[in-house]
Amino acid sequence: MIGNDIVDLSLANQQSNWQRKGWVQKIFTDREQADIYASKNPRILVWKYWSMKEAVYKAHQRRHTLIPKYNPRDFECTQEETVNIDNLLYTVDSILHPQYIYSIARDGHIECRSQVVESRTQIRSKLQAVISQELGIPTSLISFSKDLNRVPVVCIDKKASAIPVSITHHGQYSAFVVSI
Amino acid sequence: MTKEELLSKLKTIITPYVQNTKGLESLNENTDFIKDLEINSANLVDVVLDVEDEFDIQIDNEAMEKMLTVKASLLVIEEKLEAK
Repeated sequence: MIGNDIVDLSLANQQSNWQRKGWVQKIFTDREQADIYASKNPRILVWKYWSMKEAVYKAHQRRHTLIPKYNPRDFECTQEETVNIDNLLYTVDSILHPQYIYSIARDGHIECRSQVVESRTQIRSKLQAVISQELGIPTSLISFSKDLNRVPVVCIDKKASAIPVSITHHGQYSAFVVSI
Repeated sequence: MTKEELLSKLKTIITPYVQNTKGLESLNENTDFIKDLEINSANLVDVVLDVEDEFDIQIDNEAMEKMLTVKASLLVIEEKLEAK
């Protein structure tokens, strides 16, 4: 399974005060907190771990068809870019860009394609283009919907497919990852 | 505290984090914080911390994981107030 998450760093700074009393303790395990406070740049590690947790949450939710839950502390990140949840191990690739942090989570070796775009309105057409190219079908046959748990679904000729996809938006940035 | 009073206090708490203010106008028990109000998931922690401060209660992880809707949040608050 796959999942992704993007954090627009300037928006995150406006929206959240991670140094607020109790904030870090509610989201991060003791081990993660130790990593954060030992880090040269705690703020960046806070948002990196946050995006890793969110990316894995999406992959895990899709894999097990779970109902939405707010349990960030259950997803434990390591500096080696792995995340453990319910004794399952996911590997995460995180990109630290000056303006954003982008994480892709996978359980095992999964081929996938992803893209970060600066305009929210373009994300669907970019994703359509990638799927169209990979499957050799016209973009007009590709559409998107969401299942009952709000997990995105790729539809081919209006029929739901099993193609795993994850879409993320935050502030100026959007991204997708798709496994085909 | 009546249900209306609880709801009104909860509404005051969540308002600064709401990105879809239309959803706030029609706020009801079934309102979903992320889907209907577009509250950023990182701000749900702030909602939980504000609820703790406002009602002087402790919200453990088990309770926090449910707090994605108005209904579930009201239940958690009522339960924690009763246990005080």
